[in-house]
Amino acid sequence: MTEDRPSALSRLNGPQDLGRGPVFWTAFGVVSAALLAFPLVGSPFYLSNLAAFFLYVPMGLGLCLVWGYGGILSFGQAAFFGIGGYLYGVIAQNLAPMPAASLLGLLGAVAGSVLVAALFGYFVFYGQVSAWIIPLLTLVLSLILETFMGQTAGYQWRVGHVLLGGYNGMTGIPSITVGPLEFGGASVALYLLAVAMLLLAYVGLRLFVNSHLGYVVVGIRDDAERTRMLGYDVARTQVVIFALAAGLASLSGVLYVSWGNYVNPSSMGLYAATLPVIWTAVGGRSSLLAVLVSTIALKWLADTLAVRGGEYAFLIMGALLLGTMLFFPLGIVVSLARSWRRRRSVPAGRPEAGRGAGDRRSP
Amino acid sequence: MTNDETNGIASSERLDAQESPRPEAVGITRRDFMKATAATAAGVAVLGAPAIARAQAQAIKFGLLEDRSGNFAIFGLNKWHGTQLAIKEINEGFTLDGGVQGPGGPGVHAKIAAKPPTQNIKQTVDNGGAQTRDDVVWTESAEYLVKSGEQGVLGRKIELIAPDPQSDNTQFQALARRLILDEKVDVIMAGFASAEREAIRPIMDQNKMLYFYNNQYEGGVADKNTFCTGAVPEQQIVPVMQYMIKNFGPRIYTLAADYNFGQLSAAWTRAMAPLLNAEVIGEEFIPLSVSQFSSSIAKIQQAKPSWLMMYITGQNHSNFYPQANAAGLQFPMGSSINIAQGYEHRRFAPPALNRFHVTASYMEEIPTPRNKLFVKRWRAMFADEPYLAMEGHSAYVATHLYAKAVRLAGTTEKAKVIQALESGIGVEAPAGWVAMDPATHHLSQYIRLARCDEKHDITFMTEWPHIEPWWTRRLGVNLVNKPEYKQYVPDEDPFFKMFGKKK
Amino acid sequence: MSLPYLVSLLYQYADNVAFLLLAALGLMIILGVVDVINLAHGELIMLGAYTTTLAYHRAHLPLPLCMLLSVVGVGAFGMLLERTVIRRFYRDRLGALVATWGISLILSQGTLLLLGPSLIAVPLPDWTVSYGGYSFGAYRLLLFGAAVGVVLLAWWVFYRTRLGVRTRATMQNAEMARAVGVDTRRIYLYTFGAGSALAGLTGALYAPTTTIVPLMGTTFVDVAFITVVVGGGANPILGALTSSALLALISTPLSTALGTFAGRIGLLVAALAIIRFLPRGLSGYFHDLQRRRMAAART
Repeated sequence: MTEDRPSALSRLNGPQDLGRGPVFWTAFGVVSAALLAFPLVGSPFYLSNLAAFFLYVPMGLGLCLVWGYGGILSFGQAAFFGIGGYLYGVIAQNLAPMPAASLLGLLGAVAGSVLVAALFGYFVFYGQVSAWIIPLLTLVLSLILETFMGQTAGYQWRVGHVLLGGYNGMTGIPSITVGPLEFGGASVALYLLAVAMLLLAYVGLRLFVNSHLGYVVVGIRDDAERTRMLGYDVARTQVVIFALAAGLASLSGVLYVSWGNYVNPSSMGLYAATLPVIWTAVGGRSSLLAVLVSTIALKWLADTLAVRGGEYAFLIMGALLLGTMLFFPLGIVVSLARSWRRRRSVPAGRPEAGRGAGDRRSP
Repeated sequence: MTNDETNGIASSERLDAQESPRPEAVGITRRDFMKATAATAAGVAVLGAPAIARAQAQAIKFGLLEDRSGNFAIFGLNKWHGTQLAIKEINEGFTLDGGVQGPGGPGVHAKIAAKPPTQNIKQTVDNGGAQTRDDVVWTESAEYLVKSGEQGVLGRKIELIAPDPQSDNTQFQALARRLILDEKVDVIMAGFASAEREAIRPIMDQNKMLYFYNNQYEGGVADKNTFCTGAVPEQQIVPVMQYMIKNFGPRIYTLAADYNFGQLSAAWTRAMAPLLNAEVIGEEFIPLSVSQFSSSIAKIQQAKPSWLMMYITGQNHSNFYPQANAAGLQFPMGSSINIAQGYEHRRFAPPALNRFHVTASYMEEIPTPRNKLFVKRWRAMFADEPYLAMEGHSAYVATHLYAKAVRLAGTTEKAKVIQALESGIGVEAPAGWVAMDPATHHLSQYIRLARCDEKHDITFMTEWPHIEPWWTRRLGVNLVNKPEYKQYVPDEDPFFKMFGKKK
Repeated sequence: MSLPYLVSLLYQYADNVAFLLLAALGLMIILGVVDVINLAHGELIMLGAYTTTLAYHRAHLPLPLCMLLSVVGVGAFGMLLERTVIRRFYRDRLGALVATWGISLILSQGTLLLLGPSLIAVPLPDWTVSYGGYSFGAYRLLLFGAAVGVVLLAWWVFYRTRLGVRTRATMQNAEMARAVGVDTRRIYLYTFGAGSALAGLTGALYAPTTTIVPLMGTTFVDVAFITVVVGGGANPILGALTSSALLALISTPLSTALGTFAGRIGLLVAALAIIRFLPRGLSGYFHDLQRRRMAAART
C-alpha cells in the first residue's frame, strides 16, 4: 500500500483476507447474483431453510473479527444474539400499531446489544486482563443470561405488555414488516434480506479490516504491548471491535426472530455459545471469507445430521473441532485455499499432470 | 351458563341414572360405544369407498418431532416408542375402543362462560377435582383394543416421519418447516418442553397444520390447530393438594424449578391453598443448573412444613432426593411431575423417594389387567424400555385418537379432522377412559395418586376417574365457535390475582 | 439468630467452599503451571463420577476403592490427553482452549451414545448429624474434609518435595528451569495428570450426591470458571483457597436470603468487579504484594 489514502476499492481488495483480484471478484459477483436469483427457482421450503443458514453469517463474521483479527476469543456472540432477539421482540410488540415498529425494534435491538457489549468491554478490556479470562467470562455471561431469562416466567416479568416468557421463550413476535412487505419465515423477502445482510456484513467487514483501524486491530492481536507503545489506545479499540461483533450478532438475532417469530433462553446457552467458535475455528479465523463459507457449511451439516443421524450431531461437531485444531490449525477452508494457491503459483515450466492453459491467471 | 352449572347437569344426570357413577352411565354403555363405533366405521366406509379405492397406495404422512438426543432424550425416546406402537397397531387393523359420545356425553355438553366467573370458585375446584374414590368402583375390560375393520386409516397405512430435533428449539423450528413444506405431512406431534412447543406453535398456525402436544405442562394453550393430550394443573395439582392436605396437614413448602412450569405450578399452589384451608408457608425457586441443595434443605428444616410440594425437574434437580434423604429430611412430598415422568424411583437407590406422592395420568405400575396387557404389548415391541412413562402413554393415546378422528372425518384434510376431534370423542386408554374436550382441545384424564414407599414400591392410594380440563373454559375459551391462537397465563384469571402474590 | 441457625449457616458455607474448591483446584493447578485452560475439566469430573458408579454397580467393589479407581483412571487419561493433544498447544493458549472444548464435546456426547442418558446412582451414605432442630448430612462434612485434605496435600507436594520445587521453578520461568536441567515436559505431563486426577476425585466424591448423566460436568464448570478467574494463576493453591473462601462468603448469605439464583448472579458480579480492579486475580494480587514487600525489604 503506497498511497496515503487508499481508495475504497483498493481497500476492498486489500490483503487481509483470502481472495482478491479481478477473477475472485468476478466469481464473487456471480455467486452473489445466483444467490439473489435463487427465489426464481427455489421452493418456499428451500428458501426458508437457506435463509435459516444465511442469517447466522453476520454473527460468525463478528466472531471472526474479534478472534481472528483481534485476538480476543469470545463465547459471548450467542449472548448478544439473544439480547438482540429479545429486545426486538419487546420493542416491536410494544410499538405494534405503528408502521415503523419492527424497524424501530431492529434499531433498538442492535443499539442495545452494542451498549451492553461496550459496558462489558469496559470492565474487561480496561483492566488489561490475561487473554484466557475473556473466553471464560463471556462463557459465564452467556450462561448467566440464559439462567436469568429462564426464570422470567411469571406475569411480573414483562416490559410494557410483552411477557418475557421465561424458559418457554417469547412467542408470537411479528416478523419485520416494511409497508406491505413482511419478512416472514418462508418468504422470498426474508431470504433476500438474509442474503443482503450476509453480503453487506462481509463487504463491510472486509473494508474495515483493510482500513487503518483494521491494521491497528491486527497489530493488537500480534503484539498488544508494541501497539500500545506506538501510541494507539488498545483498550478502546478492543471495546470497539467487541461492540461491533455484538452488533452483528444481534443483527443475526433479529433476523432469526423474523424467521421463527420466537426467541428463548437456549439461544444463549452452552451449545449456542459454542457454535460460532466451531464455525470460526473450522473455517479459519484469519479469513472472513473462510468463516462465511464454514458457517453456512456447518449449519447445513447440522441440519442434515438432524434429519439423518441426530444422536451423532454433537459428537461429529466436537470431533470436527478437535480435528481441525490438531490437523488444520489454520482452519480447513484457509488451509485448502492456501494449498490451492501454492499449487497454482508453481512456475509454468514445470509440467504437472492435468494442468491446462487455463492457468494464466494472476495469483 | 357457568361451568358449575354444566357440571351440575352432568352430576344430576348421573344421579338419575343408576348407582354406577361411571361417566358412561350417562346413557351410553360399552355396548353402545361399540355399536356407535361400528356404525361410524360402516358409514365412513360407505361414504368414503371411492376415496379409499383411489388412495389405496398413498400413505398418510405422520410427522413426529421428539428429542432422541440432548437433554430430553430419555423422555423423547419414550414418546417415540409410544407413537410407533400405536402406528403399528393401527396399520395392523386395531383401534382403541370408544368413539363419539353423542348427545349427553361429557365434552359435547361443555358450556362456555360468557366471562370469567369470580364467585363459585370453590365449587369449580370441587367439581373439577373432588371426585375422589377410595376403591375401584367398576371393573374395566382388560382388552382396550378393538378391530378397526381395515389396515391403516381409510385404507391408507400410516407412515411415520420422525427426525431428531436434538432438544434444540431452533432445530424444532427448522424441522417443523421441513415437515410442513417439504414432506407435506398430514399431522405433526411434537415437543416435550413447553419451550419446544412454543417455538413451533406459530409455524403450525401460519401453515394451518394440525398439531398435537402430548405432554403434561402448565396449561393455558387455547389454539384452534393444537390439541393437548397431557395433563394440566387442574387435573394434577388440585387433586394432589387435596390428598396431601387431608392426610398430612395445612403447612405447605414449595420447591420449584425456576422456569415457567415451576413458577406457574407454584402460582397454582398458592392460589388453591386458601380454598383447601391450607397455607403456603414458603417457596423456593431453583435454577435448572443447580445440583447441590444444602441451603434449600436447611431452609426447609427451618420452616417446618407439614409437607413439601415438589415441582423440580431436570436431571440436576433430581439430586435433591438422595441429598435430602441423607440429610435426614422426613417430610412427605407431593408432586405433579416426578416419578411418573422421570422414573426417579427406578434411578435412585431406596429410600430416597420414600413418602413421595404424585398424581399421574399414567404409570407403568397401574395394577389393572388392562394396563398389564398394555405393558406386555409395549415391552414385546421395545424390550429395553427403561420405564413406561406418563408421556409415552399420552403419545400412544394421541396417535390412536388422530386415527379415529381421520376415520370419522373421512379425509386427512386438516380442517375436517379438527372438526372431527371437536365432536367429543372418548376412548378407552390403557389408563382408563379419557375424552377430548371440544371447547378447550384438551383431554380429560383418569388421575391416580401414587405413593412411593421406602423400598420404592408404588401403591395407588386413591383415584379420580374423570377430571375435565376446566380452567381455560373458565376464561371463556370455546375453540369450536371462537378460534384463538394463544396461551393463557394464570395472571389473566382474576381469581389468581386474588391469591397469586408471592410471599 | 439462634445458635443452631448459625451452625446451619456455617454448614452451608463449608459446603459451598468445598464445592468451589474441589471443582476448581485441578483446573487452577493446570492453569498455573502449564498456563492452559482445560475446558474439558467438567467432562473429566464426569468421567470420575462415571468410573466410580460403574465400578460400584458392575464390578461391585467397595466404594473407597471405586473412588481410588476414578482418581487413578482419570489421572492417567489426563496424561494421555496431554501427550496427544495439549502438548501441541503450548504456544497457542487460545487454541488449547478451543481444542479442549472439542474434547469436552466428544467426551460428553460419546458417553451419551455409549452409556445412555443416565446411570443408576451410587447410594448416598445417610449418616446424619442432628443439632438443635436441624439435621445435617454428614457425608457433606466428609466432602469438606476431603477438600481441606486435598489442599494440604497439594501444598505439601508443592512446598515440601523436590517435584514441587521443580514445578514451582517451571511456573516461575520455564526457560530458566530447562537451563538448570529440569525436564519441563515431564513436569507438564505430571501436572496435567495431577489436575485431571483431582477432577476425577471431585467426580468420585460427588457421585453419590448427584444424578449420573453425561452433561453433569457443566454444573461444576460454570462455578469453577468463576473461581479460577477470581483466583488467578499466579499461585494455584493460594488462589483456589482464597477465591473459594471469598466467593462462598458472597454467595452463601445471598442464596439463603434471596434464593439460589441471587447467589449465582452475585458470583458473576463479584467476579467482574474483582477482575476490574485485580486483573491477575487474588493470587496475582498477593503475589505482587509479596514482591513489593520483598523489594521494600531490600532497600
